[in-house]
Amino acid sequence: MATAEDIRERLPIGSGTIGGLLVAVSLVFLLTPLFVQPPGWTLTFFEDIILFLLFGFLVVGLNLQFGHTGLVNFGHVAFFAVGGYTAAMLTANDPLVGVGLGFPWPVGLIGAVVAAAALGALIGASTLRLRGDFLAIVTLAIAEILHDLLGSFQGITGGDVSLQNVPRPIADLAGTAGASAMLTTVLFAGLLLVTYAVFHRLSESPYGRVLRAIRADERVTQTLGKNVFGYKFWAFVYGAAIAGVAGALYAFNLGSVSPGFFTISVTVTVWVGMLVGGPGNDWAAIIGVGIIVGFRLATRFLNEQVPAISADQFASVRLMLVGLLLILIIRYRPQGLWGDAGKLGVDQ
Amino acid sequence: MALPFVQELIFGVVTGSYIAIGAIGFTMVYGLVNMINFAHGEYMTVGAYLGFVAAESLGLPVTLALVPVMLVSGFAGWALAWLVFEPLSDTGPIPLLLTSIGLGLVLRNGIRLVASPEKRYVDLNATTFRFDDLGFFVTGQHLLLFAVTAVAVVGVHLFLTRTTMGKAMRAMSDNEALAKVTGIRTRRMRAIVWILASAFAGLAGYMLAIGQGATPHTGFSQLLLVITAAILGGAGSVYGAVVGAYVLGITVSLAIALLPSWASELGTTMAFVVLVLVLLVRPGGITGEEVSA
Repeated sequence: MATAEDIRERLPIGSGTIGGLLVAVSLVFLLTPLFVQPPGWTLTFFEDIILFLLFGFLVVGLNLQFGHTGLVNFGHVAFFAVGGYTAAMLTANDPLVGVGLGFPWPVGLIGAVVAAAALGALIGASTLRLRGDFLAIVTLAIAEILHDLLGSFQGITGGDVSLQNVPRPIADLAGTAGASAMLTTVLFAGLLLVTYAVFHRLSESPYGRVLRAIRADERVTQTLGKNVFGYKFWAFVYGAAIAGVAGALYAFNLGSVSPGFFTISVTVTVWVGMLVGGPGNDWAAIIGVGIIVGFRLATRFLNEQVPAISADQFASVRLMLVGLLLILIIRYRPQGLWGDAGKLGVDQ
Repeated sequence: MALPFVQELIFGVVTGSYIAIGAIGFTMVYGLVNMINFAHGEYMTVGAYLGFVAAESLGLPVTLALVPVMLVSGFAGWALAWLVFEPLSDTGPIPLLLTSIGLGLVLRNGIRLVASPEKRYVDLNATTFRFDDLGFFVTGQHLLLFAVTAVAVVGVHLFLTRTTMGKAMRAMSDNEALAKVTGIRTRRMRAIVWILASAFAGLAGYMLAIGQGATPHTGFSQLLLVITAAILGGAGSVYGAVVGAYVLGITVSLAIALLPSWASELGTTMAFVVLVLVLLVRPGGITGEEVSA
């Protein structure tokens, strides 16, 4: 079977180059008088793609943590939320409720990365020495704490009212909503490809081999003289930082942030996507997330066709299927659809 | 004269009791099957809804319905474990943990699909004992809960210390390989642990349905508290989990009382703060279990 990986390998130019070109194209359209107006029906389509691309950033980071290094981060949404809220609070102009410092957006982006990485460093430094599954509990608990705090401190975060008036640099430059959605899609796709290229390079390098060695057996790796804790720590921080970037992109795309979006379902979507695609294979993990997000959209579309069944019931059925998929994939195909069983050490 | 904090302490002990019953099962599974069962919360929800069936549809008296609720929860939990977890018993803790998240999703949303989202109660029809002079009250639900928890804890203690099976269970929790060569049938022990743990989870859910009412999300919202109690007590230690549950319940209850009103929703958040602090300061919990990588 020709996997996505094979097809990608056969391309004459690297994904980093393609990504750079896409970024350049979107910037040309944004910064020069060149103008496109996509047809109106594409708007929701592009909005869904943007969501998928944001999840793509999350899964690349998570895959470095779990797929390559074996760290079970079950609170990935926390870093995403910290990134989003840091970016929003640094840049929002006089929001109705909550803090808005009104800095230009690059400050927000840098702040988001720093804040998410700092949270990652804090959790990593304290928990990575413990049994592997304790990290899952701590990260899950941190995500819950953060979600509660974001909802409760209305004076700072805007609470359930949401923090608004966050600058939308792309929407401002693009003019119309349709053009904005399309150019955001192109720009984010480009950025995701560049990120993918960087992380892929990282995991293919000797550095990545050490990470996989840690995943396979920590003690042996330690015996070889590698600083296991240091490797785990930095892999965790890098993954957190990229989730922070995704959070900032989310905030600047939407122009507001609210706790309702940063729930455990983000974590579950990213995890199931990665496990379905293939942990340890960045490309497969991104496609896996695409499958799950696409599945979500397909059921939403189906629901509109069958109005007799309530949206809530549909959501229940969808989540049941996602759970069932998770159980089945771990049991029967633990390497995911395109993962390498030998590399992951799951071949029986 | 109203005694300060007595009411909060009572609420704390009530919360602690729910968590304790839930945490007993969780920590047993952790100790013996060596997995963190993220579906444990849903096992509790199942117990709550079995309670609605037993007490309302079948018309059993509330206290008598305990027996069928525990029996059915126990065997349902064991059947699920046999179907879902047992085939993975050689793969280590992480695949088991991920599978339990999947199972939790299936169960939670399955219940959501068949049950209405409104909160439902099992009506105990109990009186409230007021001590207005001293400034506190105790409800019949509270008293039933205390009694059930006491019986459960003593029962588990006697089981673990006085029966061959309980001793075998402790031996296996300590060192599975050694237990196996001593002739303990580890597969059967795992099955028994699943039955016991699920029965206690069902009991916890049923008590929640009596005391606070239950929704399809009840178990999941209690899950982190249960995990926190189990870790606070030293993961795998049943006694530790019970102590941890009460420490946690009282912490949450006092936090709610002492925090300003806008932050009162953060009472449960305090529990997670406790969890993170315990893991940072003393990850082995009260009993100091071995947890380093």
